[in-house]
Amino acid sequence: MSEDLVLELKDLSIQFNAKQVLNHINLHVKRGQIIGYIGPNGAGKSTTVKIILGLLDRYQGHVHVFGQDIRHGTVEYKRRIGYVPENGEIYDDLTAQEYILFVGQMYGMDAEIIKRKLAVLLEKFDMKTATHSRIGTFSKGMKQKLLIIASLIHNPDLIFFDEPLSGLDANSVMIIKEMMAQLAKQGKTIFYSSHIMDVVEKISDRILLLNEGEIVADGSFDQLKAKNKEGTLEQIFNQLTGFDQHQQLAEDIVAVIHGDDNNE
Amino acid sequence: MNESLTLKILDQFAWLFRLLKADYRSLRLIIAFKIKMDHRRVPTIMQGGKQRADPIMTPFVKSLLLYAFYGLFLIPFLISEDSYLLQMMIVFAIMIFILITSMISDFSFVLLDVRDKVILDTKPLDARTRALAKFTHIIIYMVQLTGAFLLVPLVSSLVQGPLFALLFFISIILNAVFCMVITALFYMTILKFFDGEKLSNLINMIQIFLTVGLFIGYQLIVQSFGVVDLSITIDWQWWHIFLPPIWFGAVFEMFLLNNYSLVLIISSVLAVLIPLLSISLYFKWMPTFERNLQKLLMTSHTGKPKKHWWSTLIGRIVCRDVQERTIFTFACAMMRQEREFKLKVYPSLAISIILPLFLLLNLFNPDQGFGGGLSYLYGYFVLLMIPNVVYMLKYSSKANGAWIYKVVPIENRSLYYRGTLKAFFVQLCLPLLSVLLIVYMVMIEFSLFLDLFIILVTACLFTVICHKIFNNGTYPFSASFSFSDSAGAVLVFVAMFVIGIFAFIHFAFTLIPLGLYIYLLVLLIANFFVWKKVL
Repeated sequence: MSEDLVLELKDLSIQFNAKQVLNHINLHVKRGQIIGYIGPNGAGKSTTVKIILGLLDRYQGHVHVFGQDIRHGTVEYKRRIGYVPENGEIYDDLTAQEYILFVGQMYGMDAEIIKRKLAVLLEKFDMKTATHSRIGTFSKGMKQKLLIIASLIHNPDLIFFDEPLSGLDANSVMIIKEMMAQLAKQGKTIFYSSHIMDVVEKISDRILLLNEGEIVADGSFDQLKAKNKEGTLEQIFNQLTGFDQHQQLAEDIVAVIHGDDNNE
Repeated sequence: MNESLTLKILDQFAWLFRLLKADYRSLRLIIAFKIKMDHRRVPTIMQGGKQRADPIMTPFVKSLLLYAFYGLFLIPFLISEDSYLLQMMIVFAIMIFILITSMISDFSFVLLDVRDKVILDTKPLDARTRALAKFTHIIIYMVQLTGAFLLVPLVSSLVQGPLFALLFFISIILNAVFCMVITALFYMTILKFFDGEKLSNLINMIQIFLTVGLFIGYQLIVQSFGVVDLSITIDWQWWHIFLPPIWFGAVFEMFLLNNYSLVLIISSVLAVLIPLLSISLYFKWMPTFERNLQKLLMTSHTGKPKKHWWSTLIGRIVCRDVQERTIFTFACAMMRQEREFKLKVYPSLAISIILPLFLLLNLFNPDQGFGGGLSYLYGYFVLLMIPNVVYMLKYSSKANGAWIYKVVPIENRSLYYRGTLKAFFVQLCLPLLSVLLIVYMVMIEFSLFLDLFIILVTACLFTVICHKIFNNGTYPFSASFSFSDSAGAVLVFVAMFVIGIFAFIHFAFTLIPLGLYIYLLVLLIANFFVWKKVL
């Protein structure tokens, strides 16, 4: 039972410069779920993830990962976590293999096993030729694929994907979506945050909508739909975050662009 | 220098790290990859996938050789036998200057690397190991640097006997630790009180000021103790106790000359105590520092548009063409805002103006006033910075943005150079020369106006010459800064040579009646020609 509870947030709050970024978040996450974690920019999505990963430590409340309070005890729990960072931080002076070797070994893996796994993974991602190239020379998509590999190489049980599809082509997107579904089926828990509502709508078992530091919606897509009487996640999102002026704003923008053309 | 050699040496200290309760395996791994990355710090975009630069003569090794060369200058101070206190004080003043400036210019990126947090903190790695790894990384760099810099001086100090060499060796270690930790503590303090964009600007400004300040400070120390005569005895003042070079000098005076005066004892104790104390402070503050580093990632959006009436006004005058004026404005903004550019360029700007003023003040003799009718020639020292800055104009830390040049419908490439060089001249060169001009006219005599004006026109011509030598064909701000890729000694020598020629011609024309007017006319025509035709 307790092993089923992968993540638990109790009254989690944090402030930056007197601004309340997270406001008493409570959350229970069970094994084998894909959780779509959505919200407008600045809602506190990445902050939540950073707290759970131990990147921020000045929070109030409690965070339990695999039943352990992360504030007390060792960092061992991180061995079972995988993370694709929001801003794609990576040591780009290294080659692809060197970086994965570094990350894998940091998770305590054997170098030979990493190399063997990586060779297959790169081939599957159609990046075989880039094995020994400097990451700095990679395209956005290649870098993203490498970050995904780096987050999974140690076979983690809890995975945080922050905008993992950015820069990927349509075919790769399909691979990643299918991969996430299969990983969840095997009992992995995936925390997935994105701004692309269609994808979140389709792949998530459970959707969490965060607005101004509070969870304003929590449930499967069908549950949210029933509750909010809107057709798509995008519409629900707009409704719950109180945004309804997209048409007017777009018209204003087009008018400005057009106006400049006339003047010249 | 060799990666595996460094690691083998590190392995010898594994027991120490275990004693400190660090996870040595992870630490070694981090260090191994950090070293690998340091050796590769060359422009990424210029590098094709697999090709490797010369494996031995990496830019890093080249910079070490340069430090070894600097080290040679210490030898005369080490082997003379007049006053240990004074000569060792000079040695350590130079050492502190070199070590701190190189820490700041080359190694800030290690202290301020924000990627570390996201990449390393998400791995199962305890805070203690991470802090030690960072510290070890800096130590390794420091050992290589001081090793290259001081190995030859250390060996040559054996002339003074083994005890001297031993003392020197220990002092070097303490001194290196002192420099290293002071730099780090300095960043920590700054990061504690400021945040975001403001912080980066402030760090940038302080890096610049510190570089300049160390230069001036060194001059002042040399001045205040009258280096010409090494046998001079120091007139002790209470504030001398605050000068780190004196602490280290005192150690030698005390042990080798058996001079146990109270000041020397206090100074020697400080030489040992302060470095050790600062290390403990370093580890105490490190967690806070790491947390504050996050501030570097945050941006505050409260900027108000500033008016730059000076460059706008001049821009209107010097750039007739609208497109050229656009590039002029753009280049002005880049030079004003690009931090790495400022860091590489502003210290040399400051020194280039301080140097002639300094020489001028030194000339001052109460009996004769500012004698020496040739004092205007000092103005040519300002020109020394031109090659360095013009060379840097093609670099940017965000060089990828240069695609914009190729996308916009501007056919005439020379517009970019003309606009940028004009921006450089108006923004950086003109203010410096104007200050100098005013100082000369106020302090010496009004008639020097013509000489200084000629220097100004020469500067304008020299800018184009430098551009032709260093940058031909590269778009401004389009190449990435690389590891210690400053214009370097060679360029300075070439520039000094050319400037020397200009100064000589200038002097030669003063011998002819009305010669300066003729020379000015020639220079103006030459300027007109190069700006219109050559560019």
